[in-house]
Amino acid sequence: MKTPRWMTALLVGVALALAACTGEMSAGYAPDEADADGGPDGRVGEPEPGEPEPAPGEPEPGEPEPGEPEPDPGEPEPDPDDPLAGLPPFAPAAPTLHRLTEAQYHNAIAALFGPGIEIPPLEPDTPLHGFASVGAAELTVSALAAEQYEAAAQAVIDQVFGDRERRMALVGCEPADPGCRAGFVADFGRRVWRRPLTAGEVMAIDGVAADLGVRLNDVWRGLGFAVSALLQSPDFLFRVERGEDAPGGRRYTDFEMASRLSFLIWNSIPDDALLDAAAEGRLTDDAGLAVEVDRLLADPRAWDGIGGFFAEYLGLPALDRLDKDPEAFPQMSATLGPAMRAEIEAAIRRLVFEEDADLRRLLTTRTTEIDGELAALYQLAPVEGPTRVELPPESPRGGLFGMAGVLALNAHRTVSSPTHRGKYVQNKVMCFDIPPPPPGVATSLDGVGEDQGPLTTRQKLEQHRADPTCAACHRHMDPIGLGLEHFDAIGAYRTTEDGLPIDARSALDGDAFEGPRQLGVLLAERPEFAACVARQIFRHGTGHLEARAEERAVRLLGDRFAREGHRVQALVRALALDDAFRRAGPPDDTLPDGMGDGMGDDMGEMPGEGG
Amino acid sequence: MAFLIPRRGMRRRTVLRGLVGGAAATIGLPVLDAMLDGNGAALAQGGPLPTRFGLWFWGNGIRREHWTPDGVGAGWQPRAELAPLVEAGLRDWLSVVTGLEIKTASHPHHSGMTGILTGARYHQVGETRDTIVSTFAHQSVDQIAADHVAQQAPGLPYRSLEAAVCRFRGTDEGTTFQHLSHNGPNDVNPSEYSPRRMYDRLFGQGPGGPQLDLARRSVLDAVTGRIRALQQTVGARDARRLDRHFESVRAIERRLSAAPAECRVPDRPGDYPDVEGREQIAEKNAAHSALMAYALACDFTRVFSVMFSCAGSGVVVWPAGARNSLHQICHDEAVPQPTVHAAVVYIMQQLAVFLRTLRETPEGDGNLLDRCAILCTTELSEGNTHTNDEFPVLIAGRGGGRLRGGRHVRVDRANASLAGLSALRGAGLPVEHFGHGPGEVRDVLGELFV
Repeated sequence: MKTPRWMTALLVGVALALAACTGEMSAGYAPDEADADGGPDGRVGEPEPGEPEPAPGEPEPGEPEPGEPEPDPGEPEPDPDDPLAGLPPFAPAAPTLHRLTEAQYHNAIAALFGPGIEIPPLEPDTPLHGFASVGAAELTVSALAAEQYEAAAQAVIDQVFGDRERRMALVGCEPADPGCRAGFVADFGRRVWRRPLTAGEVMAIDGVAADLGVRLNDVWRGLGFAVSALLQSPDFLFRVERGEDAPGGRRYTDFEMASRLSFLIWNSIPDDALLDAAAEGRLTDDAGLAVEVDRLLADPRAWDGIGGFFAEYLGLPALDRLDKDPEAFPQMSATLGPAMRAEIEAAIRRLVFEEDADLRRLLTTRTTEIDGELAALYQLAPVEGPTRVELPPESPRGGLFGMAGVLALNAHRTVSSPTHRGKYVQNKVMCFDIPPPPPGVATSLDGVGEDQGPLTTRQKLEQHRADPTCAACHRHMDPIGLGLEHFDAIGAYRTTEDGLPIDARSALDGDAFEGPRQLGVLLAERPEFAACVARQIFRHGTGHLEARAEERAVRLLGDRFAREGHRVQALVRALALDDAFRRAGPPDDTLPDGMGDGMGDDMGEMPGEGG
Repeated sequence: MAFLIPRRGMRRRTVLRGLVGGAAATIGLPVLDAMLDGNGAALAQGGPLPTRFGLWFWGNGIRREHWTPDGVGAGWQPRAELAPLVEAGLRDWLSVVTGLEIKTASHPHHSGMTGILTGARYHQVGETRDTIVSTFAHQSVDQIAADHVAQQAPGLPYRSLEAAVCRFRGTDEGTTFQHLSHNGPNDVNPSEYSPRRMYDRLFGQGPGGPQLDLARRSVLDAVTGRIRALQQTVGARDARRLDRHFESVRAIERRLSAAPAECRVPDRPGDYPDVEGREQIAEKNAAHSALMAYALACDFTRVFSVMFSCAGSGVVVWPAGARNSLHQICHDEAVPQPTVHAAVVYIMQQLAVFLRTLRETPEGDGNLLDRCAILCTTELSEGNTHTNDEFPVLIAGRGGGRLRGGRHVRVDRANASLAGLSALRGAGLPVEHFGHGPGEVRDVLGELFV
């Protein structure tokens, strides 16, 4: 039987963890917390025993898809001293159209027309591979979305052009004068479409204004509808990227780079200064690009982009609608989840922007920002409004994994889930994907050991894990989560579960730990975190899942992040200046099959189908 | 000025109260009656009353021991999970098919959804992660219906309408788990979750008139011009995405140019936010059901889908006593999974509300449900095992006299695509075949038909 791909991944993951133990990649790390046990520097990484049998009659999940290139059997074995050995040479991804995400649309409207414009709801994003930006590079404008964009544009022009002061502030001259009108279309169009309009494009849009100005007998209304046309055009709704030929291969143009930068760092459209830099050719130049990256990072809007990245990466939007059983948790309220999110985001903001610090401190920090509701949950002295506090030495909390938001996100509605918490750590700190349980496997803990009287979640899980089929994956998850069992499904501290004492002593790959403080120290020492953050921001920033030909670039980005002190601003700068961000492949002319063949024409089987 | 765009030229003669939000409400006067001939079975200008195609979907499957009816043919008796439909008096408008099997199953979590709705395997998005992210490789069955209807009746305001009830929006495993109606890979027709926004979409009122129409047409014309121009400069993949954008804008233009629709306007429904942490599932379902009945009775569209809950939905079916998400208890609850079972019973009660709303909407000499063919299904058989055999399928409606209803059709591991093709033909659509590769069928389940 072939080894399923996910199983291979487990083995590779373990091998990488072992290879990483040489430790020369990470800069010296001084945790916030000095009193944690480090544990011996040994790792347990033996291969998995056995593998789950697929259900009868079903091909294995890891079967290669038709059309997917088989790994070259002649590929040399990776040299353990060179983590990049065996990877294909770098090749840039194809340029594509990136539809504005919901947040980007709102940010763009605010940037163009000022704050306070209200627009009707837009279709929510469809995130793929964790990020709305990745979904936005795949999806298109549905019938519903086109209606919503029309209604939104109408709402904008109603509010802007229906208000004398506001419209004059925007336009700056009388549109009864054709020169004023066309000049406005050209100038404002450059901001909306994020590139200069051609003379023909100005004529077309100005034509709408001129024609409707006459027919509606209202030049301002006519101009408003021209703005509506700008806002409904694909040039606004999509970030259009095609690339251009240049010495050394295709690259993104100056204006394409302006948008790539501003959406990466601000999650919004470029400002005039950035467009000017593009017009002067400074964004295809190393030094000029670096200047603009630093300017954007220094702007308060950088939090919109970088904070937005971390929120998606860590799954924080789910805290806005945190759903816990109100009977089991009387502390639960509509504001508690958002308060948890605010605590995590405040820590990231402080480390990334206020202190430009080593991001690994997020895993161990004892400084945090909480409001009254969270102070009560943490059994700390009352505070009013968001307040920065130092956790007292006896507090069991500390670092990201002691924050209630992460603990509550990765728990059920009524009970904790060591498995989900462990999976989150593997997924978010190590970028280690663990597949969902295979079908037909009983995942229930109900009734486990019920003949032995009441059991804690830990005891039930340990019995469950005695099954080697489950253990293959659960051994990567449960031990991490079991070390966090002092925190219930809402992230509150507890010493007992159903009257039984909690035992939260555990180990991470052989390193003993208990609780989030010690776990944070262990994780901060591991090189996977830097590699994972870099991989995630690469996906988010480029808007696609890295291809094999980009793996080299992703790994090097992670190495550089670690080498430069795990500073996120430096990581963003490195990404923005990377060839993988600036170089464009040839346009994608491959068509996924299967569209539009409902009238009886069989298009046949397609490559890339699930295997 | 308000932002809502008016439905052009719609005449609002009567406002009926009490429909939206009421489970068993009735539209007092059949909307199409004005256009009927003297016999009430055909339109005055010729041609029969329209038949509609529908899809009603719920996530996480069923419990077989409570689902599969006793007895076959006309003499079947429901077990607990189908009892709500029979108790609602829907037996004569409903056939149960058991024993179907997805023939394109290759992955437990993704195959069932695309298997039942496209008769084909899924399309994987990105190949360098071990977590599979997928989308539909082909258009979903409702869009096949929409293609045919668009040929038969090109002037309808909406090609299809999509509603969703439960607010859980899916896992991060691709559009397969986030959307129902697909035109193709990563090309979705998103469902409207809010009854209020669905109302605004269909009946939204605001200052309108010929001036605004003129301006909108001019703007949309400029927009479609830009889409076509941009298409010339991008790769084939992006050009195809822009094709969809173009069609989406053209649909607005077509509605602007269409003859005025004549339809009464119901009350604007609420938004039904959670009450004390509890999702107002029944209220949203009743409101969406009523709006869809209105849209069909008004002939706004002849193709619809209702995603009660998405594939693998994490909805908390609290009215059935659940305290954790349905997906979670499907995995975790010990067999025989009493809470999962209770949730399925509850979901079938909600389906009964939808079907009753159609049945209680008179049309001509019958009712709306008489003239629908609705495929009611889910993405797998049993949630705890993710099985793709014994696939749960109901065919509701009489298909304008084509479907006889009231049957339990038992098959022996027959191709599940038979369900889709039977529903399409049941709606009177001349679809030759459905599905791809091992999922393809050219026949229907004959016993369903008159």
